[in-house]
Amino acid sequence: MKKEIIIKQLGFVLLLNSVFLFISFLISFFLHETSTIALLFSALICGIFGIFPLIFVERTEHIGFDEGLTIVVFGWIITCIVGMLPYLMWGSEFTLANAWFESVSGFTTTGSTILNEIESLPKGLLFWRSATHWIGGIGIILFVLLILPQSKGQQITVYNTEISSLSKMNFRFKARKIVQILAIVYISLTLIETVALMLLGMSFFDAINHSFATIATGGFSTKNLSIAAFNNIGIEIIIMIFMILSGIHFGLIYGTIMLKKENLFRSSLAKTFVLVLFIGILLVSLKLNLSGKYDFWTSLRYASFQVISLGTTTGFATEDTANWPIFTQIILIYFTIQCAMSGSTSGGLKFDRLYIFFKLIGKQLKMLKHPNGVFVSKFDGKRIDEKLEQNTLVFIVLYISVFFITTLILTAMDIDGMTAFSASIATIGNVGPGFGNVSSFGNFSSLPDLGKFVLTINMLLGRLEIFNILALIMIKK
Amino acid sequence: MKKTLKLKIFASFMLLIAMLAVAGTISIAEFRWLSNSVHGLIQDNYKSIEASKSMIEALEREDSGILLLLLGEWEEGREILKSADSLFISAFMTAKNNLTEQNENEYIEKIDASYKIFKSGWELPIVDTDKQGNISWYKDDIHKKFEATKFVVNELMSLNQSSMYNEVSELKEKSKRAIMPGIVSIIAALVFSLILNFFITRYFINPLSELAEAVDNFRDGDYNLQSNITSNDEIKKLEQSISDLLQRIVNNSNKIKQ
Repeated sequence: MKKEIIIKQLGFVLLLNSVFLFISFLISFFLHETSTIALLFSALICGIFGIFPLIFVERTEHIGFDEGLTIVVFGWIITCIVGMLPYLMWGSEFTLANAWFESVSGFTTTGSTILNEIESLPKGLLFWRSATHWIGGIGIILFVLLILPQSKGQQITVYNTEISSLSKMNFRFKARKIVQILAIVYISLTLIETVALMLLGMSFFDAINHSFATIATGGFSTKNLSIAAFNNIGIEIIIMIFMILSGIHFGLIYGTIMLKKENLFRSSLAKTFVLVLFIGILLVSLKLNLSGKYDFWTSLRYASFQVISLGTTTGFATEDTANWPIFTQIILIYFTIQCAMSGSTSGGLKFDRLYIFFKLIGKQLKMLKHPNGVFVSKFDGKRIDEKLEQNTLVFIVLYISVFFITTLILTAMDIDGMTAFSASIATIGNVGPGFGNVSSFGNFSSLPDLGKFVLTINMLLGRLEIFNILALIMIKK
Repeated sequence: MKKTLKLKIFASFMLLIAMLAVAGTISIAEFRWLSNSVHGLIQDNYKSIEASKSMIEALEREDSGILLLLLGEWEEGREILKSADSLFISAFMTAKNNLTEQNENEYIEKIDASYKIFKSGWELPIVDTDKQGNISWYKDDIHKKFEATKFVVNELMSLNQSSMYNEVSELKEKSKRAIMPGIVSIIAALVFSLILNFFITRYFINPLSELAEAVDNFRDGDYNLQSNITSNDEIKKLEQSISDLLQRIVNNSNKIKQ
């Protein structure tokens, strides 16, 4: 493994961070905020460490799988470390554990926060907080590859690591083209949402921050009450539309816009994903209404937003779900586990795996009836590889094991069951809010530092997919 | 531009120096600001708090002086009142000339008005008048004026105290912010040194060792100078020079043999 190549690529990752830190610094500088120096110094450190490897390492040749995997995993970890610098240097609520938590939560697009008073944060820091989502959303590595004048082969290997292997099932574009597609769709969606939110009365600053968080399926808001602070149904509808779009394979969106064969309307996976969301909305709305919590339209309004927000792993809120009937909470927990589609910016288990899992259950049921029969699971007329089915099963078991262990660790710290369980699922799924003390309007500040650290490991495992981390450990061995 | 080893090492140290210089400058600037803030804190709020304390002390002495006058102790009573009045005016002027908080002027004006009313009550003769020994006058009139003035002075003191408390909390946060660039740059410099050490070993020490090994091989009879130097810098130049030199030695030796 060529270490110098890895260091050089990590340098590019840091340079990208440095650009966003510098923009955040400019905001703070022009608004005469207390975070100016913290942001400037962080941008400088990031920039210096980004430029440094470029001095020594000559133009790099082919990057192998091992190097690609190391770049992706370490790229994320290093980004999270430098991402916490401005928080740590600014201080206030940001202790070392809190700064690390907020940074990891941002870059992994989880959206869980430790902040009690979000609105008291300087605007420069608020922008940096949202920018961490945006950078994390598309995957820093993927982004850096766009600006690197490198070989095609190199992009393919790193891309394979960054995006869940399942995301390739729908598309057989060349990797370089996929990188471009993702970037175009990502930037366009951000801009369109920003304009739409501004037209509905949001300020430019709030609109851009919420767009960053929506498109990255993050969930950091500039308001203590999240989207509820705006109390504007138009804004909620726009955000819901963009949350769904961000939870769908970006290539499908591109295909739809470009009137290609592989588009949203032809993908059974996308259609099932949206259908499941609608069923969830319907069930939650009915229960909220029948239990006398709200009238029908209010129930529909809150249920739609919460189901879509959690079902796409975004984590915005318009109502505190901690007080909702347990039936609705269990449905919301299901969506927290399910997560969105591969090839989107969401993390966690991913809807695709559950889709394969349920197809597999169907196959097994048929085998019970006809033990000697040969059955094949199909997806849009194509055969699902048995190896993929096996990998999916192993992944689901590993995924459940991780959040079970995390829940156990948290309860050992005397954290109540609901908080521990939902915090574990919400972090490994990169969703954000859970229930109990960490509900939609709550935050993670009350958890012990060790608990916060455990949850950040969950976030990274969810974002990088457990297999990649395991593969890296195996390579190191 | 050709990236020579000299340029690479120079650029690396320049980056390190730039980082430390900026960290140092920021820390110095922050500490200077901190020092100015502490100075300002003493100058601003502490001065007003001390002035308020003096005003309260003066008011209480004046109250004692009034009681003495009620008892018919004219000389002693007037002397206390005179010195206390002088102390009050001096402290009041200090507070008046040290307006640092928002709305502080309103408190000063209130104190001024209230004290004038209180003073007008004891400036007129008390001994040998109907006021001497008149506890009702003391309780219902002059003492209430005394209490009212003291209350406004206390309000001024509270304003400055709470402001001082807020500023101290802010200073605590600021001092942390002043230290952070130093801590971060120390850690960053350590990481930087480790990476620099890696690059120097990879691009300087290893090629030299390979070159030395190749020369050793030549000495042992392997006339093919082989090294894997890929960089385009001084080391590559050295490799070519040694290669030329050894080639010449081989040629000369062949000529001598012929």
